[in-house]
This record gives sequence, structure tokens and C-alpha cells, in this order.
Amino acid sequence: MDPSYRIIPTIQPQSASINDTAGTLGLHDTLQYGLRSIATETSKDGFENRLANWQETQDNLKLTMLRDLQGLHAPMRLLMERRIVSANPHMPAMPQSNIHLDILMGRDETLDPADFFLGMESGPPLNIHNEMEKKLRL
Amino acid sequence: MSSPGFNFSNAVRNNFLQEKGIPLPKATSTGTTIVGCLFKDGIILGADTRATEGEIIADKNCEKIHYITESIRCCGAGTAADTEFTTASISSNMELHALSTGRAPRVVTAMTMLKQYLFQYQGHVGAALVLGGVDSTGPHLFTIHPHGSTDKLPYVTMGSGSLAAMAVFESSWKPNMERGEALALVSAAISAGIFNDLGSGSNVDACVITATQTEMLRNFVKPNERVEKERRYTFRRGTTAWKTENIRSLIVSENITPVSAGGDAMDTS
Repeated sequence: MDPSYRIIPTIQPQSASINDTAGTLGLHDTLQYGLRSIATETSKDGFENRLANWQETQDNLKLTMLRDLQGLHAPMRLLMERRIVSANPHMPAMPQSNIHLDILMGRDETLDPADFFLGMESGPPLNIHNEMEKKLRL
Repeated sequence: MSSPGFNFSNAVRNNFLQEKGIPLPKATSTGTTIVGCLFKDGIILGADTRATEGEIIADKNCEKIHYITESIRCCGAGTAADTEFTTASISSNMELHALSTGRAPRVVTAMTMLKQYLFQYQGHVGAALVLGGVDSTGPHLFTIHPHGSTDKLPYVTMGSGSLAAMAVFESSWKPNMERGEALALVSAAISAGIFNDLGSGSNVDACVITATQTEMLRNFVKPNERVEKERRYTFRRGTTAWKTENIRSLIVSENITPVSAGGDAMDTS
């Protein structure tokens, strides 16, 4: 949680970097990630960044206000509950839904476009190893 | 793998082209005249019924007064898909909110949901709305612009015909009008938009919202009815010569057996 009263996400300067796909030698790792493409190297442009970080920023604002009004324990307990609920024992299989987390985040009583526009149809994750690594490192 | 929403895969290319000096294509705004006005018993909303696609009329009788809740309605100007989708989405969220709080929904709730949604999208969702309704705190009328700013006023107009309609309102609106007077004023304002703005046309829709009921007056005034043709242009029977006739029944033979004695009821024996 970042102690800030921002209502809109920070405007990040656009940059191109190789960080995400760099292998041990510092260059693009073709074996793991496929051919080099510009989409993976450029950061999100202003508007896309705003949309992607919107919910998080709003949530952060509420947590910061809670912290300033009631003390550090208030957001800490909420974040603790969320973390407990996010512990997902299932394999990273295709359909994943966490209704308990939705209730804690307040999403159970609203409908977003994401809820009724089905996400881009994607098959089983190609890099299951990466997903398991991410999961078990928690 | 991208989440549902705007597609940004061309963003890098577009930025590059803009830096080279090639301008972005302008978004076409649809023509409309939408109005709202406060009268003694509540709110009257009005709208024209023309939907345009550039220079062509896409729909001669479309509905621009959208349902939010039983006693809250919203007129939409701007990109038709954006207004329809946004109002439908907010209508669903209002219903969920009303069920969750257990209270009758309020106009300010809808206004807040709409303005927060439009502000998040920085004006890219082209929806200019006139929101009006009556709730437990009384009648309220708001305008919401595509970038998320709102105004609370006793009479409002939006769309390309808003100047013509506002001229009518400014000259004749007065507080605590009777229903008949207010309806005549709203019709006059929309008619001003229909006849003086190319983007608005066809018929006048109105919606009267009071504390007890909401009355939707679809095609309240039809000043642009198509004149009946003076002659008949159909062909006389026998104009086209034909040589042979062969009629074949599609059903060769039919044998109907009833499925069960109890009809469609589930067989729980």
C-alpha cells in the first residue's frame, strides 16, 4: 500500500526496456519468450496505464484514508484478509474465479464491462512452468 | 492475452504516425437534440429520433430516452453505442445497488456512477447525457458531459441541436409550470432542434416523470410524416408471362403421435 491520496494513476513517462524478457546475459531470451517484439518492450501509453491502474489507485486512496483516520491496523487487517483469501490451492488451470476475493474487494455488487464481455479466448497457458514458479514462490 | 476493454495494440503505431505529422481521424459525433425540464410535479425529458452515420440517416425512428430505473431516465447524445451501453451498464448497477441497500434508487447515485465512469475514460467514451428522475428527495435534472463534468439545472439541452432548443427554453421557461404547458414547451424545443439542425430530425419523444408514475410518450409529435404517394406503383397481376405451373407440397405424409398422456408435465412415476 502506497500512502498517497492520488485519485488518478500516476502519469508514467514512456520508455522502452528489455527488462521483462531479459535472460541471464541481459539480452532478449528468445528460447523462453519467442521472437523479440516491440509490444513487450514499450511500456503502456498514458491512457492504457490510466485504465489498467484505475481500480488499484482508487483502492489505495481508500486504504490511505483508513490509515490516517483509524491507524495503520485498519488497512493492515483488510490487506491481510485479502491475502488469506487469495491463497489458491488450485493449479493455474484456465477458468479461475475467486468469489471470496470479489466480495472483499466489493466487486460482488457491481457489473463491469469485463464481466460480460468475455475475455480474449486463450487456450491453456503455454508456459505452465512459469505460472507454477510464480505461484510457489509466494 | 488482453483484458476486455479498449484495444491498445495500435497505440505505438499511432503515436509514431502522429509524431510524423499525420493527424488522427476525427471521431464523428452524431447529431441529436435532447432536452430536460423541471415542472411542478416532476421532470419532462425530450429527444428527437434521428440517428446519423456521417451524412446518412441510419435510423429514422430511434429511441434516445434510455431506462435507468423505474423513475429515472436518461437521454443520450454523442456516439450511439457509447450512450446505449453506458446507460444499460449503469441501469444494471443501479438495480444491484438498490437491492443491496434495500432503498429506492436515487438520481444522484446514477449521476455519480456515470460521471466516475466517463472521467475514468477521459472523454474517449463519447456520451453526453441528460439524466432526470424523481426519487425520495424530489425531482432532479443533471447533464453529464463526455469528460465527466456534471451540472444540476432546472432546464438543460444537449447535442448538436442544443442551441436551438436552449433558445426556446430561455425565452419561455418559468418555474412551476403545469404538465400541459411544460410538454408544449419541450415539444417546441425539440421541434426547434428538428427543423433548424441537420443532425436532428424525424419525431419528438417525450417522457414525463412524476413522483407517482413515469409516462413514456413515444413519438409524441410526428411533424415529418411521409406524404402518402398519389399513384400506385405496383405491377398488375399477369405482367410477367409464365409457361407452366407445378405445385408440390413440402409435407409428403404426416403421422402425429402424442408423446405422453400428461402433456408436457414431468413424468415422476
